[in-house]
Amino acid sequence: MRLGSGRRAVRLAPVPAAALLAAVAAAALLMDSVLALAVLTAALLLLCTQAHARLRPYLFGTGTAALGLFLVWPFLQSTGIDVIWEGPIVPVLGQLDVTWEEIELAAVSALRLAAVGLAFSAYALLLDHDRLVASASFARHSALAVALATRLVPTLERDAGGLAEAVRGRGVKVDGVRGHARLLSPLVAGSLERAANLAEAMEARGFGAGVPTRAPGPAWAAADYAALAVGAALVLAAVLWL
Amino acid sequence: MALVDVHGLAFSYPGDEAPALADVSLRLEPGEVVALLGPSGSGKSTLLRALAGLVPHFHGGRFAGSVLVNGLDTRRSRPAALAGTTAAVFQDPEDQVVMALVRNEVAFGLENLGVAPGEIWPRTEEALDAVGASHLAERRTAELSGGELQRVCLASALALRPRLLLLDEPTSQLDPEAAERFLGLVAELGGTTVLSEQRTGRALGLAARVLFMEGGRILADAGKGDGLAWLAEHRSHYLPAQAHLERSEPRGEGVCRLNGVRFAYRGGPEVLDGASLDVRRGEIVALEGPNGSGKTTLAKIAAGLLEPAAGKVWRAGRAGYLSQDPGRYLVRDRVVDEVALAVGGDRARAKAALERVGLGWAAERHPRDLSSGERERLGLAAVAVAEPDLLVLDEPTRGIDPDRKAEIADWLTEYAAAGRGVLVATHDRTFPVDRRVSLGREALLAA
Repeated sequence: MRLGSGRRAVRLAPVPAAALLAAVAAAALLMDSVLALAVLTAALLLLCTQAHARLRPYLFGTGTAALGLFLVWPFLQSTGIDVIWEGPIVPVLGQLDVTWEEIELAAVSALRLAAVGLAFSAYALLLDHDRLVASASFARHSALAVALATRLVPTLERDAGGLAEAVRGRGVKVDGVRGHARLLSPLVAGSLERAANLAEAMEARGFGAGVPTRAPGPAWAAADYAALAVGAALVLAAVLWL
Repeated sequence: MALVDVHGLAFSYPGDEAPALADVSLRLEPGEVVALLGPSGSGKSTLLRALAGLVPHFHGGRFAGSVLVNGLDTRRSRPAALAGTTAAVFQDPEDQVVMALVRNEVAFGLENLGVAPGEIWPRTEEALDAVGASHLAERRTAELSGGELQRVCLASALALRPRLLLLDEPTSQLDPEAAERFLGLVAELGGTTVLSEQRTGRALGLAARVLFMEGGRILADAGKGDGLAWLAEHRSHYLPAQAHLERSEPRGEGVCRLNGVRFAYRGGPEVLDGASLDVRRGEIVALEGPNGSGKTTLAKIAAGLLEPAAGKVWRAGRAGYLSQDPGRYLVRDRVVDEVALAVGGDRARAKAALERVGLGWAAERHPRDLSSGERERLGLAAVAVAEPDLLVLDEPTRGIDPDRKAEIADWLTEYAAAGRGVLVATHDRTFPVDRRVSLGREALLAA
């Protein structure tokens, strides 16, 4: 994962990068300060922009969820005395009103969600997962299974699109849940076929031949140790002051 | 001593009565480059798998005879043990890629073989450099085009420094220029190479020896000169075909017209920038262009599967679209039902369409039991059965042997002659068409 841009960019090894992102997500969940959360979210957003177009679906998902939470939260709470809007009485929910305190709590919750979502986006989009799972010095086969599953998600997505398109190309509409559900079985069958082909290709490339070696990962630089320290400090600060 | 010694090899896949290989014997000397030709289902891929040890270890089945590779008997040595001595690149690169990043993908085989850690990255870089893919090292494999992935697969094979390189239609997704470059690289390697290709001109241009298979047997095994003579006498469709000459003037009533079409996939760069195209009834139009030039996108817009961001699309009547690799996108449990899907379950029409593509015998079989070439023809029947006014085909000759390609060409000629338009996005310049239009990287199209 790369922090910054141009000549001054710092490249982090996968393990410290993952640890830093996990610490950032944990700190976001522990913080109560709107300002600190906003700064953290902005920093994560800036980091995620390295992924360019691939960020869009993640940004859409995170943004929609955070905005939805911000809008709904005040109506699910009944706290504060500084009323800024007084609404009708709704059965079951009672009096609808919004206070400044509720807005602030809604902002905290929405920013927490946004920060955690963006930390996950950075993990999914910017990390070298192959090397991250390879860093586990045990359970090599399980680590490889995780790497394969990560890689095959976009393939599965493409296959699902291809199936729907193939049917539409024959003049048959693919509508609604039922229409798409009918494609589930061929999608699974296609995935199994892919899995068998992949297993064959792996065997042909020596998988299981004997004792494997591992390509050396980049040696940890000062920035990697600094990332671990920053992550720990962030969690501590969130607990004590933020 | 021969690098490969195959003696009396016979093999049947589990559940199949017909042998995939029968009485195959051959020797390969170090440094030989062999073109392996033959129709779909003739046993070419099975032979390559036998040389890699995947047959019988991975597939099971009945195996007789012997295959020695570099002195190792493949019945006693598992494919993983042969890896490094042999390396294979199969037809579909997406089914071979294991890792998420290109450089990790190339390193994967080296790690499996226990190469010293200090050697892994230098060999990875060397292999990527050899196939001109150094710039892809940090890219994610999921984001690469089919052509780029094929180069990465070749790099992964070369990184092992194999003595025997097995290539099963490795250029099927490349445009002609990229395919030439790819095979040029293979020629420079100097190792023993067995190359199976359906676009035979490429393989014959590279090879010094020709093997022709049919029905699981080797019908011809000769040096290039004698091999070409044998093909000329017995299987002339397999000789390198000349680029097909075509009429240049559009004719007939229009069936589809695209004017100034622009398109970009969500979040991506513009793929088409003002492309125009005209397809008339009664003609077959080839849409050409290098990998990434937007052929598939334009074909989908012509078929109504994508809406352009700008420009005009006019179509008379219905359109049908056959995607690349249609055999992967089959949705029914029986062949006849797969075809009947487009005609409201009319099995009689479906059976007639299957007969037309030579698959009448397979009507009650499961589509995934068919070979890849048969699946391609099934896909064609499934789209054409509804007799759309505009039939759009994306690389319909990929993986199709020359005999079947000639049959498809005849069938499409009849289809167009019945007053319908056919648009074929293809890299194959030998496919007979009425007119060709070129889609360059600048996405300007001369209709």
